[in-house]
Amino acid sequence: MTHLVLDRLTRRFPGAAQAAVAGISLELPKGALLALLGPSGCGKTTTLRMIAGLEKPDEGRVLVAGRDVTALPPHRRNMGVVFQSYALFPHMSAAGNVAFGLEMRGVARAERAERVRQALALVGLEELAARRPRQLSGGQQQRVALARALAIQPDLLLLDEPLSALDAKLREGVRDEIRALQQRVGATTVFVTHDQTEALAMADLVAVMNQGRVEQLASPEEVFERPATRFVATFVGRAARLSGQVEAPGTIRCGEALLRAAETPATGAVEIFIRPHHVRPVAAAENLLPARVLRRTYTGEVVSLECETPAGRLLAELPGGVPEARATAGDTLSLGFAAADLRVFPA
Amino acid sequence: MRPGILLRLFAALGYTLLLSPVVVVAAISFSAGDFLTFPPPGFSLRWYQQLFSSGELMAALRNSAVLAVVVAVVALLVGAPASYAIARLEFPGRDALAGLLAAPLLLPTLVLGLALLLALQPLRLAATWPGLVLAHSMVAIPFATRIMTTAFTAVPRDLEEAAWTLGATPLRAALRVTLPIAAPGAVAAGALCFLVSFDETVISLFLVGPRLSTLPVEMFRYAENRTDPLVAALAMALIFVALAVVLLVERLVGFQRALGRE
Amino acid sequence: MSAWLLMLPAVLLMAAGFLYPVALLARISLNRTNDMGAMEPAHSLETLGRLVEDEFTWELAWNTATLAASSALMATALALPVALLIRGAAPRWRGLLSLMAVAPLLVSGTARIVGWMAILGDRGLINAVLAGLGLAEEPLRLINNWTGVRIGLVESLMPYACLVLIAGLGRLDARLEEAAATLGATRFRTFLRVTLPLAAPALLAAFLLTFVLGVSAFVTPRLMGGGRVFVVATEIFDLALETVDWPAAAAMAMLLLGALAAAMLLRGLLGRRAA
Repeated sequence: MTHLVLDRLTRRFPGAAQAAVAGISLELPKGALLALLGPSGCGKTTTLRMIAGLEKPDEGRVLVAGRDVTALPPHRRNMGVVFQSYALFPHMSAAGNVAFGLEMRGVARAERAERVRQALALVGLEELAARRPRQLSGGQQQRVALARALAIQPDLLLLDEPLSALDAKLREGVRDEIRALQQRVGATTVFVTHDQTEALAMADLVAVMNQGRVEQLASPEEVFERPATRFVATFVGRAARLSGQVEAPGTIRCGEALLRAAETPATGAVEIFIRPHHVRPVAAAENLLPARVLRRTYTGEVVSLECETPAGRLLAELPGGVPEARATAGDTLSLGFAAADLRVFPA
Repeated sequence: MRPGILLRLFAALGYTLLLSPVVVVAAISFSAGDFLTFPPPGFSLRWYQQLFSSGELMAALRNSAVLAVVVAVVALLVGAPASYAIARLEFPGRDALAGLLAAPLLLPTLVLGLALLLALQPLRLAATWPGLVLAHSMVAIPFATRIMTTAFTAVPRDLEEAAWTLGATPLRAALRVTLPIAAPGAVAAGALCFLVSFDETVISLFLVGPRLSTLPVEMFRYAENRTDPLVAALAMALIFVALAVVLLVERLVGFQRALGRE
Repeated sequence: MSAWLLMLPAVLLMAAGFLYPVALLARISLNRTNDMGAMEPAHSLETLGRLVEDEFTWELAWNTATLAASSALMATALALPVALLIRGAAPRWRGLLSLMAVAPLLVSGTARIVGWMAILGDRGLINAVLAGLGLAEEPLRLINNWTGVRIGLVESLMPYACLVLIAGLGRLDARLEEAAATLGATRFRTFLRVTLPLAAPALLAAFLLTFVLGVSAFVTPRLMGGGRVFVVATEIFDLALETVDWPAAAAMAMLLLGALAAAMLLRGLLGRRAA
């Protein structure tokens, strides 16, 4: 069941040449987690702020559970927001922070205390209820912010880069915690991030954004394995970029070699994106390309070969066991790919 | 580079000039003599006794204290909302209005005092409480708005946004979140307004009358006409009050917090 | 809308206590005083003209300008070593030294003048020392004259000069002087060739601020001058409250404002050339 609808949402900042958000439309089912993924300045935070009501869209609508909330101010939207800085009130205890939203809703004192306790228990912070934010660690502050957002039983949970202020060591654990918590309470969630690993690991749906537009809206697997545009192919995951010429639909010429690809434009110059782990040793490949090894890096699980091919630079990651993995700088060898693994876009 | 001997010598001269009058006033207020003789012929508390038994001067002290409290409250009451608007909201004419609230400081107090006399005398407001409060507010409000604007600007905007998303109306968010966090700034602003009013001499000289006078004015007139150590005791009374207010602010909020540097 | 509502009380108060009185001041400067000493409404520059033609006005202006300039110069010159000392001091002393430099601002001007009377007066500290050393038969006249006014004014302006210089010098890179020292410059030459040129904008700013404050100073000339020193500020006060000639007082105040506006304009122009 569709819970959140963005309908041609647009925001232009005065004085800016380009719209920060240029007509975004998407739908999100109830209980799902959507990641807005993109480089800084792509409009993902502005989109989140428009959903929360903190920014007024110039055009378009926001619908939650079928209700148009576009004209509502933030305090009448019932959305739980976790800010990038957490925005905890420094003059209130953790419990006071969590209670704030309930107090604004006029929840009676006794019920309020109980719900605060539940919310803090949910994030495992009952013992620290009386602490002020500055007496909490970064991870604890983050959980208070989450509890505060969840305590109001929001129609939507909005997270703005919630992991960016944490130590790299903590991030993975907190990431999994947030995901588990979100699934447990079943909160429909929009999550803003510039980190593809976060987006792929947590989301049900990923919207890859660039210059105010959604380039691709799909499951994490789909986005990674079958990027819809050149931007998605470059931004998500690593990929070598080869150039070629379409000879006939499905066949691309790269210098001497001919490559077969599952999907190609009908004609013209093209760019071919190949993930390093999709490069195969000769024995397992259908398409072959001659490659001269420039550099070999041994990382234990895989061997990375940086190669020069007639179509451009290519990065290959081969399992340690195959014969090609023993090549050293200066060697020439043949590398191949499955037709289905090549993503081809007009150059 | 470490300061050299010559520099230290000149700096010492500068500090001597800056601090000697205050030190001398403090010493001479305990003089046993009849004149501003220094060194004093002996020490006593007679001038303090005379100060505290002078009905006129004690009335002036009371007036000054009450006036300063009222001025501080007025400056905060009108200055805080204005500062909030200047710090947080965007509206046409904001810079011009912010400039207006700072403008009285550009005018010499002598000219401001004269202008207020010309305006308030015909309205029979000279030498009245409302007149004095209005006059002193003109020099207090610029300080109040300056400090409060800084204090409000220092409160992160996303705290207020967080309050909105949790269901607080803009007014409740301002009162429950922004104002309490900016409170140390308000305390500092109030204290400064109190001191500005409590020490204000020149504007008051134009506006006081026989029935309503302030301590700085009485001290000025005394220093103009007489040369006994009573005026030094009077000066010390002013200094003590200023010091008490400064210490009170320190105890209440601490200067670092008051100045928003925590 | 709500922003205007929040501004309204403050703006109304400013209109009543600042805009209206200042406008009235300008208006009254165009009135005239008749032979009976009463104010007559008029729209003329007569009062202003009479002041400008009066030699006494020019004497006052000259007295005021030279007093302010010499005091501002001394205050800035004495504040410079104080500010340099603070800049070179260890961080834990810096706060205390700065506080001591601006502490007089917390003490009312009248109180400090009482202190000066006890230092400079006939029975004051300096004359007691001179007499004790047998250097002076008669007490040296140090108050109730221009000397006293100048000393008092220098002291009352110094904290402002210190504020400007502490802020201005704090931004200068101390390594420049260390570089000069490593290049073999003596302390004095480093001061002349590096510190002073770098500090020039701050010194100019400090001088101009203290000059403007000195021009409109009233309490110090009045009390230290003992009624024998006349400047523009004391004249405005006397015209308003002793002679009760409001048009003349207002006109004199307008002349003072005009001079100050010119000084500010000059400061702005110099500032832009320096930038």
